[in-house]
Amino acid sequence: MRHEKLRYGLLSGVLLLIALVVFMLAGLANGLSNGNRQAIDNWQATDVYLAQNANETLSASQVKLADQSLIKGDQTAPLATLSGTLRTAKNAHKTTVSALATTRNSFIMPKIVSGHRINGQNQLLISESLTTDGYKLGQTVRLGTTTKTVKIVGTYASSTYMISPTVYTDIATLNRLKAMPVTSGKQQTVNGFVTKNGQFKTSDHGSLQRLTMATFINKLPGYSAEQLTLNTMIYFLFAIALAIIGIFMFVLTLQKQALFGVLKVQGIGTNHILAALLTQSIAMALIGIVIGLGITVGLAQIMPAGLPFAINWGQFGLYGLALLAAAVVGALLSWRTVANIDPAVAIG
Amino acid sequence: MTAVLALQQINKQFGHGHTAVTALKDANFEVSAGQFVAIIGPSGSGKSTFLTIAAGLQTPTSGQVLLNGTELATQSEKARLAYRFNEIGFILQSSNLIPFLTVTEQLKLVDKMAKRSFQAKRAQTLLAELALTEVATAYPNELSGGERQRVAIVRALYNDPSVILADEPTASLDTPRSIDVVERLAKEAHQHHKAIVMVTHDQRLIGNCDVVYKIEDGVMTKQ
Ligand SMILES: Nc1ncnc2c1ncn2[C@@H]1O[C@H](COP(=O)(O)OP(=O)(O)O)[C@@H](O)[C@H]1O
Ligand SMILES: [Mg+2]
Repeated sequence: MRHEKLRYGLLSGVLLLIALVVFMLAGLANGLSNGNRQAIDNWQATDVYLAQNANETLSASQVKLADQSLIKGDQTAPLATLSGTLRTAKNAHKTTVSALATTRNSFIMPKIVSGHRINGQNQLLISESLTTDGYKLGQTVRLGTTTKTVKIVGTYASSTYMISPTVYTDIATLNRLKAMPVTSGKQQTVNGFVTKNGQFKTSDHGSLQRLTMATFINKLPGYSAEQLTLNTMIYFLFAIALAIIGIFMFVLTLQKQALFGVLKVQGIGTNHILAALLTQSIAMALIGIVIGLGITVGLAQIMPAGLPFAINWGQFGLYGLALLAAAVVGALLSWRTVANIDPAVAIG
Repeated sequence: MTAVLALQQINKQFGHGHTAVTALKDANFEVSAGQFVAIIGPSGSGKSTFLTIAAGLQTPTSGQVLLNGTELATQSEKARLAYRFNEIGFILQSSNLIPFLTVTEQLKLVDKMAKRSFQAKRAQTLLAELALTEVATAYPNELSGGERQRVAIVRALYNDPSVILADEPTASLDTPRSIDVVERLAKEAHQHHKAIVMVTHDQRLIGNCDVVYKIEDGVMTKQ
């Protein structure tokens, strides 16, 4: 009996470790994914318009504000970006941020939590998370490489883009920070446009091309490579869990052939034996998964804030079920072995 | 008296042609309720083959197996499984018991399989009858060989089968314990009006038997 407990304990332990790694990787994949796209998800936009020659990358795309006239949609917003360093006077605080610029009342402008919306030149909204880094309302800060300054006038619910906290401003201000030649009017340069349910007005696309939001996100630098790597590791772990449970249950079945023969003699059939194996396998997996999940949640609490890690309960549930499915399939792999045990061997 | 279990004109051959082995030749056998019957024969004489055929674990090459008047061979595999569970109790040489269940749990499993609730009273009575009350909560590896075989007897009786088949139930026991187990089997057959068939190669154990069959090279003769 003790022997059995030890064996099942070992299987549970191994499944616990696998579950732990699966959940940690999933958390990291989620964290990285959020870090890259949280701001985009907040826009709730459906498509993006970039310059045709920009290789589907926002930062490489340069179009004129006037090109917006080629697009129609429920809502359309121009978008300009600058990835740079946000710093306070005398460099007291320095943070890498993703600066996003659009028109002052565009639909992608975030909702204000404190302070006010942008209502004049050289104003900046910052992600709430930056307030813990020492930035606050009314502060004059520099952004990028120029010596020009902007003033923080509002904060909004934290968001990130390309793994950096976001800041928002208007297009003219951003163009000034970028030291662009044109800093007002329709001939200003922006990186692209985002819309809700937009499309080209006519077959004249100018120099623009339309991307769905999904394509645009997948083309974020590094995004799909990261996600693919982490997800592939997770899928391999499912296969490893399946193999471990399958082998364990198979060896167990081989070792218990004599016992199963006796059971069959006594009229306890293959289905009952298999049901018992299945119950044990599922119980072991459940214990492993639940403890693995518990440890993951515990670790998430004590992780350094900089580590991109996010729990997505729906996805964790799905991965838990996948591990459980591995336990079910792993036990069922022994079906043939159990079915082939000849009860006559128990007599003799 | 009508036979609970009857085997008629049973032949069993293994293999074909040159290498064919005839394990049973025109064997006839019957046992009635309340009878304790022994089948005695040397190793390789066909005893185990007889038991597996009687239990429907193997089909005979020819001949009939009648359990309560029903021909076993015509039944489906599933029906035979149910038959075995409900009508036949087994006592094997050893390893009868499930190692990770206590004595009482072995009996509970029988009830669970039969989809009924635990018959505590019946369990108590049978365990007391075979002097096992003390070890009701012990695991098989905590029992002596004699106790283990007595538990196997309880387990076989517990489901109230028509017939109990015992395959060398004393094979792993010393002589005093062997005699004890066989005496108890005889007593249970008479007291509970059960048909009990015991296979053995040990001459000393057949004193308590009502009927003895001798088997040699597959030929069975009633003594
Ligand atoms: N599955 C089998 N295949 C071939 N020969 C078998 C098989 N089972 C039993 N035999 C043969 O049938 C004869 C009787 O065997 P068995 O019934 O096991 O004898 P016992 O139980 O009396 O020792 C032996 O010669 C044995 O070799
Ligand atoms: Mg034998």
